[in-house]
Amino acid sequence: MSIEWYVVLSSLLFATGAMGILLRRSPIVILLCLELMLNAGNLALVAFSRMVGNQQGQVFALVVMVVAACEVVVGLGLIVAIFRRKLPLDVDELRELRG
Amino acid sequence: MINSLLWAPLAFGLAGLLLPRRFAGWWATLGAAATLGVAIALLAGFDSGAAGLQYAVDVSWIPGLGVDYSLGLDGLNVFLVVLTALLWLGGTAFAAFREQRRPHLFFLMMLLAETATLGAFVAQDLLLFVLFFDLMLIPFYFLFGAWGSDREDGPTAAAATLKMLVYTLVGSLLMLVGAIATAIIAAQDGGHHLTFSIAELAKHPIAEGSQRWIFWFFAAAFLVKMPAFLLHGWMPDAYRAAPLPVLAVFSGVLAKVGAYGFLRVVLPLFPAATVQFQEVVLVIALASILYGSAMAFTQTDIRLVGGYSSVAQLGFITAGIFALRADGADGAVLQMVNHGLVVAPLFIIVAVLAERSGTEDMRQMGGMAMRAPVLAALFLIVTLATLAMPGSANFVGEFYILNGLFQAKIVYAFVAISGVAMSAYYALRLYQRTMHNRRPDTVPSREIGLRDGLVLAPLVLCIVGLALYPQLILHRTDPAVKRSVAALKTPVEGTLAKR
Amino acid sequence: MSATSWAWLVLLLPLLGSIAVAVGFRAIPARVAGVVGTASVGLAFLCALGVLFNLLGEDADARHHASSLWTYAGAAGLDIKLGVYVDQLSAFMILVVTGVSALIHLYSFGYMQSDEGYRRFFSYLNFFVFSMLLLVLAGNFVLLIVGWAFVGFASYALISFWYRRATATKAGMKAFVINVVGDIGLVLAALLIFRELGSFDYGAVFAHAPGAFARGEWSVTAICLLLLVGAFAKSAQIPFHTWLPDAMEGPTPVSALIHAATMVTAGVYLIARTHVLFYLAPTAADVAALIGLATLLVAGTIAIAQTDLKRIVAYSTMSQIGYMIMGVAIGAYAQGLFHLMTHAFFKALLFMTAGSIISAMANLQDIDRMSGFWRAMRFTSLMLVVGGLALAAFPLTSGFFSKDSILAYAEARGGIYTWMAVGGYVGALLTAIYTFRLVFRVLPGRPCEEAQHLIDTGELYHGPPVNPASGEEEDTEVGFPGAHHHIAERSWPMAAAMGVLALGALFAGLVQIPGVDNVLFGFLDPAFADSPLAAIHPSAGAEWRGLAIGAAISVLGIGLAWYLWVARPQLPRLFRERLRPVYLLCLNKWYFDEAIDLLVVRPALAIGRFANNTFERLVVDGVVTGARDAVGGAGGVVRFVQSGFVRSYALLLIAGFAGLALYFLLRAT
Repeated sequence: MSIEWYVVLSSLLFATGAMGILLRRSPIVILLCLELMLNAGNLALVAFSRMVGNQQGQVFALVVMVVAACEVVVGLGLIVAIFRRKLPLDVDELRELRG
Repeated sequence: MINSLLWAPLAFGLAGLLLPRRFAGWWATLGAAATLGVAIALLAGFDSGAAGLQYAVDVSWIPGLGVDYSLGLDGLNVFLVVLTALLWLGGTAFAAFREQRRPHLFFLMMLLAETATLGAFVAQDLLLFVLFFDLMLIPFYFLFGAWGSDREDGPTAAAATLKMLVYTLVGSLLMLVGAIATAIIAAQDGGHHLTFSIAELAKHPIAEGSQRWIFWFFAAAFLVKMPAFLLHGWMPDAYRAAPLPVLAVFSGVLAKVGAYGFLRVVLPLFPAATVQFQEVVLVIALASILYGSAMAFTQTDIRLVGGYSSVAQLGFITAGIFALRADGADGAVLQMVNHGLVVAPLFIIVAVLAERSGTEDMRQMGGMAMRAPVLAALFLIVTLATLAMPGSANFVGEFYILNGLFQAKIVYAFVAISGVAMSAYYALRLYQRTMHNRRPDTVPSREIGLRDGLVLAPLVLCIVGLALYPQLILHRTDPAVKRSVAALKTPVEGTLAKR
Repeated sequence: MSATSWAWLVLLLPLLGSIAVAVGFRAIPARVAGVVGTASVGLAFLCALGVLFNLLGEDADARHHASSLWTYAGAAGLDIKLGVYVDQLSAFMILVVTGVSALIHLYSFGYMQSDEGYRRFFSYLNFFVFSMLLLVLAGNFVLLIVGWAFVGFASYALISFWYRRATATKAGMKAFVINVVGDIGLVLAALLIFRELGSFDYGAVFAHAPGAFARGEWSVTAICLLLLVGAFAKSAQIPFHTWLPDAMEGPTPVSALIHAATMVTAGVYLIARTHVLFYLAPTAADVAALIGLATLLVAGTIAIAQTDLKRIVAYSTMSQIGYMIMGVAIGAYAQGLFHLMTHAFFKALLFMTAGSIISAMANLQDIDRMSGFWRAMRFTSLMLVVGGLALAAFPLTSGFFSKDSILAYAEARGGIYTWMAVGGYVGALLTAIYTFRLVFRVLPGRPCEEAQHLIDTGELYHGPPVNPASGEEEDTEVGFPGAHHHIAERSWPMAAAMGVLALGALFAGLVQIPGVDNVLFGFLDPAFADSPLAAIHPSAGAEWRGLAIGAAISVLGIGLAWYLWVARPQLPRLFRERLRPVYLLCLNKWYFDEAIDLLVVRPALAIGRFANNTFERLVVDGVVTGARDAVGGAGGVVRFVQSGFVRSYALLLIAGFAGLALYFLLRAT
């Protein structure tokens, strides 16, 4: 199978994630979409790694997975904290930090 | 010796925190008196014939950056140090006679300010100088902001102080950049390791192109401090907000740090740029003289008469320095001391008058001389010295400055001297409007109290003493000034040759 | 003791007197202050005699000495010493100054007795004498400027002595500021002298000047013109004269001392002192002479129209100083100084009589209100007549000889100077007319209310205390002219002072009768030997011819005054109506005050107001406000982007990366 298919799939996944982030307002869904985008990147990394023939890309993919896990932990923690303080779970409502 | 001079005020200030509140003021006065004692001892042991540094202290401080803890006295700063100690004693004592809010902190700030100011005068290392120069700002920021008074028709004390802070910080940050740049460029040019010693840097001035922009970085800091024309925007608000005893030392000494900086740093380190920009600075100086005088004679707030007259006087001093001749610079140093000796008592008198009349607007004052002949006499002497009446040391200073200008740039001398006529008008107007004419019913005429008299009379005696013998200062200043000005000679010829 | 030691004593005594009275003002009784003040000046006069005798004991050519105490300011090539210079000129000046001052102190001792500020007055008065002596004894230009400014300050302090009066403080301010302008002229002249000759010392400057300057060179002309600014401001010459009439706000002894006898003659002294320079600058000398002439004529015309007793005398002072300035400017040095001396006598006397009359009038000064004082105050009236005769140059009085000696010199020098002499004679006619207008208005006739009160009760008339200048009522606290001024008839110190001055006014001219004796000129001339102009001497015959003309003019003027104000009192009113523009011009002092107000004062204040109201707000604060607004505006843009919408941040992020990616893609292809 040529590399193009992998890249196309990865792009599709990435675009789906990005659209999800831009269009959805729930923080949980946004977090999911972020994961989608990261994994799109992972797919591309692994695919190119295989094409080039060394393992560097796979190492990067592993690093990204670790980062993604951390991110999910922090993100979910934040969501739980928001939920506990009885704040709306809607990123458009949560704009305390506006300038 | 010089270390004890520098750190005594701060030490006294910190020790004062441990004392009960009611002793804080007296303790601080004692500290200021001790400092003055040390300063006078230094002056007594000062060798008037020598041009070099005396009582020099030189310890390596931050070796990696070439910063030394280096102090010393010479003809340029010895009288400014004595002046600082003297005025601080006066200001502190005057404040101690009055109830202050949070006295511990107030007097700590006063004494910290004294240490910082003395440090700026005695520092012989460029970075140390910049450090003390900026340190001065901190205590005064708190003194003006926290103990100052808000104006009904103007900004609050905090806002006025912030304005001052922004102005001076912009200036001194530029100076910091300039100082670092000078040292680095000098190290690169000379191929030696980094040093901030002013004497070392002066030996081999940096390339002319670099001098040009660094000159203005330093000039910005000094001209704001003075303040010079167009950079004086912070002055009216800050002066109106400041507590008067603090203002007396602030106006008496701090403005001179700027003028002193020109003599100590700019002339020796950037001789080529100094010569090149001589006329630009002279124009600023003359504009300060004319503008300050014109403003002073339309003010009705008696503080601002003093404030704008300082703008004019500092204009004279700057003009004297930038005549770039020994006589002009001699006059400038003399005039720095004179002006400090005049303006501090002036603000103390303003405080005394304001206490009696409850206002600082001269339109609501008058006739105060009636039952207060001693106050009137002291005020009159201060007034006459302010307007540089011939026979006062101020006149000798102005005469030297004018002579320098006259020999260097005759047209500027003719313009500058018109400031003298205006000063006669505004100084006398201040005196007449407050002391003479009829007294409004609301204003009691009361003789000056013994304690205030004890603050004021010695300062006035100094004015009279200097009037009789200005040579005391000129004689000691001359060798150092000549050395400072001599640095300019080579580049002068250099630029001439190029043309 | 040497001449210079005596000179230092002359300087020291009044200063000590002033300090003693000032410092001990609470401790010593008022009378003691008066005695100390008077005695110190009297002793100074004796010391001045010591200077004189010392000089007389020496060879005529060696009568100049310099002495200095310590280096006042010496650095960077300038060398200014605290030094005195004693020669015939300064010896003559200190004699006149201390002599007349001592008498005026004596007069003040009585006159000011009921004033609350008695001690302050004597302290100021002594300080003034010290300053004046410093001015004439100074050994270099810097010290001259110091003395010059000190007398200006003393004059200010004494003019606004009654500082509760707004008119007095205003007049003091005016005098001070105009005098500072004069000081500036002197300072610039001194700096220019230093630039050209490298010294401030009289000895060095006058010795080197003839070699350094060609006659008529621009630099020496500039120096002399700048000196003239100083001289004119101090000596109340056009256009710097407006302060002098206002200065009459001061107590009358002050007017006598400062604004008649001593300070205002400083300009004459200055020109005489720097005659070497003025010889080298003929243009400047001619300017001085012409302005002197103009002043003497203008002041004469103004004096005729005024009605304020003291101001008439003040304008006559201006006019007489015009003679002196003209004299010393054209080269009649000794003659000018001779007139300075006689003028000091008779003008001080006139002011003293004026003071006596004003006290009797309860501080009113309007001569329209006065009449019949001959019957009320014999002694004062007699003194007024004596002073008036001397001022009008009546034959054989002192003013007769001194004024005509100047005019005779002018005539002898010839050329345009002859015309100056003619102008001087016209001025003499004016002088005689206005002087005797004053005498004839005040003395004869039916006694006015106040004079009648004095005759009937033997007491001074007491009206409500009013300010003579503005007419507003005065409060009666300190700083108010004491209500009970003494009149000369009752107070021996005042009478003694006036008597001595009257003798001087009558007989001082006898020291210098053409062809008979040559006491004064014989003494003074060697001091001016270095100017070729001093060698011009009119012949005795020419001088007597001049004296005859002067006598005729004087008698004619007095006769005219008698005709106009005694024989045909309705004539002056007729003149006033027929020649209304001329009358208004004179009455309003040729509108000098208004012109200066319009040309100098208003523009200066307008600039000040513009700076304060407009410039400060728009430009100085504008820089700050502009910087603040710029930062604020930039912040506003950033703020808009920071909306707090997470998704819009994300959009920006993605769009940004997309843009970057697109850019690289496009570049790659």
